[in-house]
Amino acid sequence: MNIVLNEPITNPRSKTPTTAIDGVELNNHSGARSRFELEPRLVEMKRALREGHYKQYRTSPEVDLLAECDAEQLSWPQRAARLIRRMCEAQEVVIRPEERIVFTRTTGKVPPVYRESQQRDLTSGCALHELGPISNICADWEMVLSQGLLSRRKVALSSRERLKNDPQAVEFLNSAIETIDAVLDLACRYAEEASRNHRHDLAKILYRVPAQPASNFHEALQALRLCHAVLWLGGHYHCGLGRFDQYMWPYLKKDLDLGRIDVNGAEQLLAEFFLSLNKDSDLYPGIQQGDNGQSLMLGGVKRDGSSGVNELTYIALRVARGAGMIDPKINLRVTKDTSLDLLELAAELTQIGLGFPQYSNDDVVIPGLVAHGYDLEDARDYSVAACWEFLIPGRGMEVVNIGAVSMPAAVDAAIRSGLPAGDSFEQILVLVGTNLRSQVAKLAERFSRLFLPPAPYYSVLMNGCLERGSDVSHGLNYNSFGVHGACSSNAADALAAVKTFVFDKRSLSSQRLLDALDTNFEHDEVLRRKLFDEAPKVGNDDVRADAMLVKIFELFADACESISDNGRGGIFRPGSGSAMFYVWLAQGHETMTEPVVGATADGRKRGGFFSSSLAPSPGVRVRGPFSVLKSYSKIDYQRICNGGPLTLEVSDMVFRNPEAVHQVALLIRLFAAVGCQQLQINTLNVESLKEAQLHPELHKNLVVRVWGWSGYFCELDEAYQNQIIGRHIYGEPTL
Amino acid sequence: MLTGVVFDIKEFAVHDGPGLRVTVFLKGCPLRCSWCHNPEGQSPEPQVLRGSAGERLAGVSFTSQALADRLCSLAELLRVGEGGVTFSGGEPLVQADFLAEVIDQLDHLHVLLDTSGYADENSFRKVAAISQLVYFDLKLIDSVAHQAHTGVDNQPILRNLRVLNELGVPFVIRVPLIPGLTDTEANLSAIARTVAGMPGLQRIDLLPYNIAAGAKYAACGMAFQPTFDESEKSNINLSCFKSAGLKVRVV
Repeated sequence: MNIVLNEPITNPRSKTPTTAIDGVELNNHSGARSRFELEPRLVEMKRALREGHYKQYRTSPEVDLLAECDAEQLSWPQRAARLIRRMCEAQEVVIRPEERIVFTRTTGKVPPVYRESQQRDLTSGCALHELGPISNICADWEMVLSQGLLSRRKVALSSRERLKNDPQAVEFLNSAIETIDAVLDLACRYAEEASRNHRHDLAKILYRVPAQPASNFHEALQALRLCHAVLWLGGHYHCGLGRFDQYMWPYLKKDLDLGRIDVNGAEQLLAEFFLSLNKDSDLYPGIQQGDNGQSLMLGGVKRDGSSGVNELTYIALRVARGAGMIDPKINLRVTKDTSLDLLELAAELTQIGLGFPQYSNDDVVIPGLVAHGYDLEDARDYSVAACWEFLIPGRGMEVVNIGAVSMPAAVDAAIRSGLPAGDSFEQILVLVGTNLRSQVAKLAERFSRLFLPPAPYYSVLMNGCLERGSDVSHGLNYNSFGVHGACSSNAADALAAVKTFVFDKRSLSSQRLLDALDTNFEHDEVLRRKLFDEAPKVGNDDVRADAMLVKIFELFADACESISDNGRGGIFRPGSGSAMFYVWLAQGHETMTEPVVGATADGRKRGGFFSSSLAPSPGVRVRGPFSVLKSYSKIDYQRICNGGPLTLEVSDMVFRNPEAVHQVALLIRLFAAVGCQQLQINTLNVESLKEAQLHPELHKNLVVRVWGWSGYFCELDEAYQNQIIGRHIYGEPTL
Repeated sequence: MLTGVVFDIKEFAVHDGPGLRVTVFLKGCPLRCSWCHNPEGQSPEPQVLRGSAGERLAGVSFTSQALADRLCSLAELLRVGEGGVTFSGGEPLVQADFLAEVIDQLDHLHVLLDTSGYADENSFRKVAAISQLVYFDLKLIDSVAHQAHTGVDNQPILRNLRVLNELGVPFVIRVPLIPGLTDTEANLSAIARTVAGMPGLQRIDLLPYNIAAGAKYAACGMAFQPTFDESEKSNINLSCFKSAGLKVRVV
């Protein structure tokens, strides 16, 4: 979940300062790679998007379902279907002259299907996840595009015939059929309007898809746009896009082979599709704007284990860079053997500072999923949910972010109860395990009564629901819960500090430490500095700290493995992400049940932030990215397999070096080679530098390129810092 | 076993050579270039830097084995990353014997020596011969100007350049473009004439001056006293090199 967003960049090329010097010969590796630029019609579309022009169409009257649902005494599944129908009907047809892929939402918020009091009664004694509706899963887009909705409708009809004596199944299948009809009616209205506007190109496509199987790339993109957008109309959110280059490539390949489209034409269409994902995204729910889970996966192996990298993998990376928008959020599956060509293209996308691609390591993730009970073929087919959590498109009804454990709280409570009791360090570790187990048990207890509302339309798009006559909310092949192991580095550092000073060196008395923690170090800054500056820290390939990191994840895995059934026939899958918990665990949040902590034994004062997912604790000095990779490679990812990226921030000034793209590509390869699981490389922009000025203590490791040399940003005098910021502001393309 | 003083070890030093590298900054330098951006590298003694993020000790003693062990712990990563170790400074050859001892223990990692070229011939020979690539600075060909702006005579540097050429170790010439001092047509042409025809020469890197060079002086308790006009832009003149048939780039 992005808390701070980088603004999209209009012209990413100007971001590379080296290209700004005319007539200078550059040994730039990127010269070998072709560039993609938006054609004028799309430049205009992007401008309109950025300026919010598509919001002007949101004039449809608000849909209100409650009266009719009550009058007809509709069941929950029927109401969910009615919601899809009424929302589809409420959409005005919007076809702008520059559009070749259509659908613009004309309604604002999604109405409830029950009054609050009704819903409370119906769900009493149950737990809802977040907002309630099914979210954060991924449809079987391959199936939807290759079969078409009419074929799905036939499946529903035949299941209804077969299951006619099962009223629940019949009700579900009727609801599913209603949603299919609603989507097809909407497509038909678009087709008719296109005809009236003499947009016969569009009409032809929309008369065909999503009803029929897509027969070319353009149809496939249009079908996906419409079917995906309708999910959001039904109140679903964090709706993933899955393995895009796998399910889309057959259509594009056929077009290219038959000469029906050229690469540039395909790229422009794809760019339009990417832009279209930003039309309505401000209406999508999330913790922060942009936290909308439109994740798109590229690369990796096919279900049979052979390489799935294809021309579209490359095209999508190029187009994402050229489009320069925050959606879709690109993910790339890699191994240590992934070709540098592909990694360099990805690094060029990293360069423009959008914060993606995010990389996952197939060599680690696939066996990890298999170890968690996934079929090998399904494991090979993994994608990610909204942030980083692994899921199987079309086959999983998992709640990948059911909650988090507060690792700092588990450690802190162990220290505060173990030290006064005169416990050994081993005994303190046992307490940490007990605390983690109790946090997981609380989550398990609460969500053993999880209620997932019926989702007939999502069921149409999933694998097997219509065939079985059972709503996706009742479960699929995979039904696990994912738990974030939040803020692990601070927790490990706290343990390492206690072990080093209190137990090994005996240079710190338990009482002094406990007093300092109780008083937020107000009277013992000397101790705080000692804990913060001199204790071993995760991220330095220092076994004293890394062993604690490994241990704490081991205890977390033990805790999750102690729950054999989550109440839905699934497991508890432990991960290493933090999501927003790196703020929440430090400062509290009204919706949060995980325990907050005060001052901690790693020398962090009360309220201080934690690091995001896997990254060294904020403000501690670390040796650099190689040591960071080595530290985090020690976690047993066969047991910790819910995702949660190692997060590396590099200054965008790194890219002043003509070989930087190649070197960043090598860094990505290195991440895979050392056996880490997931990686995010962020290129820092000027906003981050300003933040570093305000809080230099948190950004000691921020390296900037100053001239033919690099320095620590915070060691530069303010005037020089301002100079760099100044130069950078000028370097920033205007939005 | 010898002991040396290091003021920084930087991982992912993307500007210090090919591939993924770790750069070791050795403390102590005989030159006093008025544009020096690493003032903490000048004194051979450890010193405390006081910046906005607090204090940091610049200068840690390592035995050659301890330093080599630290670098070798990254060996596998550096090989995957098609890179190696860069020794910079300060002037790394001030600690040539220590450095040679470290390199001997590096298990054949790719070594890049980043040097001003100012060292006695034996020291230079000893380390350059066991390096795979040398970044060799050429600042000013005019010896009077060199003395005035760097504090030392350039004759040993020019001699070591010839030694380097004889050794057959590949090298890159690095020229800081200091406004009005090193970036003049006369100086750049003289540099081009000096290096033209040397078989080991890979290319010439021009490094435009950046106004932030003086940033760390206050933290070191030193005064930044440039002998040139800082506000001027570097003159990026490639033709001197191109006309001599030399490969040149700006970094």
